[in-house]
Amino acid sequence: MTTLLPALEAAAEDDLAEALRSCARGDRAGLQLLYDRLAPKMTGVALRMLRRRDLADEVVHDTFLRIWEKADSFDAARGRPASWAFAILRNTALNALRGEGRMELVGDFEAIEPASEEADAETLVMALSEASALRRCLDRLEPARRRAILLAYMRGLTHGELAGRLGVPLGTAKAWIRRSLLTLRECMT
Amino acid sequence: MSADERDRLASEYVLGLLDAEEMRRCEERLARDAGLAVQVELWRARLAELDATAAPVTPDPALWPRIEAALGPVAPATPRRVARPSRLATWWQSLSLWRFYGLAASAALVLLAIGTAQLARQAAQAPVLVAVLLSDQNQPAAVVNAFRDGRTELLALSALKAPEGKSLQVWTLWDRERGPVSVGLLEAMRNVELSVEGLPRPAAAQLYEVTLEPAGGSPTGRPTGPILMKGNASPTETGI
Repeated sequence: MTTLLPALEAAAEDDLAEALRSCARGDRAGLQLLYDRLAPKMTGVALRMLRRRDLADEVVHDTFLRIWEKADSFDAARGRPASWAFAILRNTALNALRGEGRMELVGDFEAIEPASEEADAETLVMALSEASALRRCLDRLEPARRRAILLAYMRGLTHGELAGRLGVPLGTAKAWIRRSLLTLRECMT
Repeated sequence: MSADERDRLASEYVLGLLDAEEMRRCEERLARDAGLAVQVELWRARLAELDATAAPVTPDPALWPRIEAALGPVAPATPRRVARPSRLATWWQSLSLWRFYGLAASAALVLLAIGTAQLARQAAQAPVLVAVLLSDQNQPAAVVNAFRDGRTELLALSALKAPEGKSLQVWTLWDRERGPVSVGLLEAMRNVELSVEGLPRPAAAQLYEVTLEPAGGSPTGRPTGPILMKGNASPTETGI
């Protein structure tokens, strides 16, 4: 099974779980430990989605406030602390993308060269471990469809935005994604 | 919502394809739909590696002080919730091997338990019985949800396919006198409604299993091939 941060040993995961329990007790030292460990990677993920440093910082800020508020609902038996925290980060970033700030982001999105996005998507695949099941399964997808899946995850694009980016009708984009996700699920189960 | 629609929604939610309104509706649904919560957790586990590829960026030094200032002077308002034992917890503990499952599987199982407990408030849509079908390797391979109205669904957690000339047959057993009754025939594991019309309402401890049979199903009407996965139903907090 893959881990979110492969470098983290199980002991480090335990530290994060303990830090979340500290947060639930109202101990700020717990939140600071989580911040020190997770904020750099989170900033990287948020920047990849939002493309603007100020917005990425805002998302990381809001994410840690939510972690503080929701720490009491974390259950170590349900999953790893880093996965739990990154799910909050992604949701916060998606809400920022879908929210009021979205219009001003559109300009930035359009300014990105399609060729660079293509390269980004391929770089992303190459960054996955050779042994990764996800990489093996993504490799089974046709390149344009693989790019659609990766762009959706990496950038938080909606179906409509993806259709525009891929130059295909909305229905086609939805069908591609649906088919690709089924292939991924079957390959990874 | 069918099991396939649920999986699709889960995948699109985790991938981030939903617009603001769809996201809101999905999150509402997540709070009361255990099957959806399971699928979301599985999708998160499948895609988590992609986040690990992001280049780390040193946060702005001014950010932590800002976060700390926003926490306010007192401890968080929400006190830690106290878990209370339930029938579901007993069911959960009975799965003594769960600790050895992979992250996705154990997360899915626990979420299932937690999600199912949450469903108590939404009795109409909550399964009254849940069976986790384990493979001979003790890996969760499928979940069977039975609802108050008798409707029963199978959620596939593995992509097992029948070899050429064979079929996967789903059986349930509630009465040794009557013996196992076929409730589904598949070529490959997938999310499916089981054919339970005319059968008694499902009961606690009812057995569900999947066997490998000749194509088109067992010629005798009874399981003839090896058992690929099986599990007994446990009542959820919703009650039967």
